[in-house]
Amino acid sequence: MDGPANTVSYFVAGYGVIFGILGIYLASLVSRWRNLSRDEKTLADLEENQ
Amino acid sequence: MGSRPKLLIVLDGVTVVMLLTATLLVFFYAPMERVMGAVQKVFYFHVAAGWVGMISFLVAAAAGVIHLIKKNIAWDRIGVAAIEIGLAFAMMNIITGSIWARPIWNTWWTWDPRLTTATIMVLIYFAYMMLRAGIEEPERRARFGAVYAIIGFLSVPLTFFSIRIWNTIHPVVIASGDPSATGAFDMTPAMAQVFLFSLVTFTVLYFDLLWHRVRLGILADRVEHLKLKLQS
Amino acid sequence: MSGLTPFFRVLGAVVWKDLRAEWRSRELISAMLVFALLVILIFNFALELEPRARAGITAGVLWVTFAFAGTLGLNRSMAVEKDRGCLDGLLLAPVDRAAIYLGKALANWIFMLLVAFIVLPVYSILYNTNLFIPGLLLTIFLGSEGYVAVGTLLASMAIQTRTRDILLPILLFPVVIPVVLSAVKATGGYLQGLEWSEIQPWITLLITYDIIFTAVAFMVFDFVVEE
Repeated sequence: MDGPANTVSYFVAGYGVIFGILGIYLASLVSRWRNLSRDEKTLADLEENQ
Repeated sequence: MGSRPKLLIVLDGVTVVMLLTATLLVFFYAPMERVMGAVQKVFYFHVAAGWVGMISFLVAAAAGVIHLIKKNIAWDRIGVAAIEIGLAFAMMNIITGSIWARPIWNTWWTWDPRLTTATIMVLIYFAYMMLRAGIEEPERRARFGAVYAIIGFLSVPLTFFSIRIWNTIHPVVIASGDPSATGAFDMTPAMAQVFLFSLVTFTVLYFDLLWHRVRLGILADRVEHLKLKLQS
Repeated sequence: MSGLTPFFRVLGAVVWKDLRAEWRSRELISAMLVFALLVILIFNFALELEPRARAGITAGVLWVTFAFAGTLGLNRSMAVEKDRGCLDGLLLAPVDRAAIYLGKALANWIFMLLVAFIVLPVYSILYNTNLFIPGLLLTIFLGSEGYVAVGTLLASMAIQTRTRDILLPILLFPVVIPVVLSAVKATGGYLQGLEWSEIQPWITLLITYDIIFTAVAFMVFDFVVEE
């Protein structure tokens, strides 16, 4: 057999999936954190004004 | 809630460096496999992701047991964080496994024990999330989550063994032949190094993510608490 | 911890209550049975189901039928408790929760066996083969025990959620796969008349599963019905 099979496209797809899923999860963590922080601030303000 | 504790900042830094290093090692240091070519390199992170998927389940089950005994909500936060992150890595594992299988075995899917068990594990992860989604009270949600995590964790090895026995009595025949013949490869020392480093990197990454996710849980609980206080 | 006699008295009471209630209305059994027979009918048109010739498929069809009918039974048995407030009544009593769990599980097991032992003769008649092979009966016995042990626990949880009925299969099926898988392989083996040495691993797996899950469910049930 002459040389390894050309499977570069699958290699790219594989690492795309890995970093894609990682990226999506990190984005979800960050976005949830931001939303909650904003909520916390709003609620704290409301509490103070009561 | 303030900024990250010092240790977490350090952990974040270490994680990023290790992940970067591991990626570079895989891309440039690991040799190209003779037969399979580039796609074999997916193996390094594929197995690491599977490993994380499994230890995450163990963490969730252990946290569940401790929660049931101690009734401290902190353990539930760890449990749900472990399930969430474990789900992400388990899916990573299955999808990359499928991507690897396609050029090597000429099929997107095989019913071999590991892949099938991994899929069932993902289904259990999803079921856990759905169970929690259906319960309003945090205390009951935590209790039921713990119970299901324990039951789920116990069943996964049994599933694996059942399918394995099934395979030895009726070996799997797939499109281009016996999977143990093709698709196997000998690991050179360089490959072994990259493999081990990937495992360690992913483990560090896992605990880093876990810590962040638990902090998110603490923040969410605080917001919930504030909401209830304001309503009364 | 309460003494042994009250424990068994509670267990017996729970089982007897369920059986008697069901005997009066026969809702549960009828539903499970009609369902089981319909499934067999539909499969008959979809697949070639001669038991000896197509042992593997027959075993699969039988267990799919039992699994779905079993889910019906589990759901209804818990729902009845919740809706009529019986569960709360039972829980107020100063008895070991585990006895309640075992009682419910035993009653559910009996219902599942009843369905099986009506489905088998029907199948035997429809396909002109005797399905009352001792090994097959043993398999049904063991398989339904494991199924019901986990099912009763999970049904008790599912019934307390918003999504109720739909949630039980989602929770139960992935976790109960070792049981169903082993039961199907053992059933298929007996239908084909295979050697004991070939069937034995599956029976062992069934017994292992039954023991582990009955024990764990028994220990954990308390946490599921706390108020």
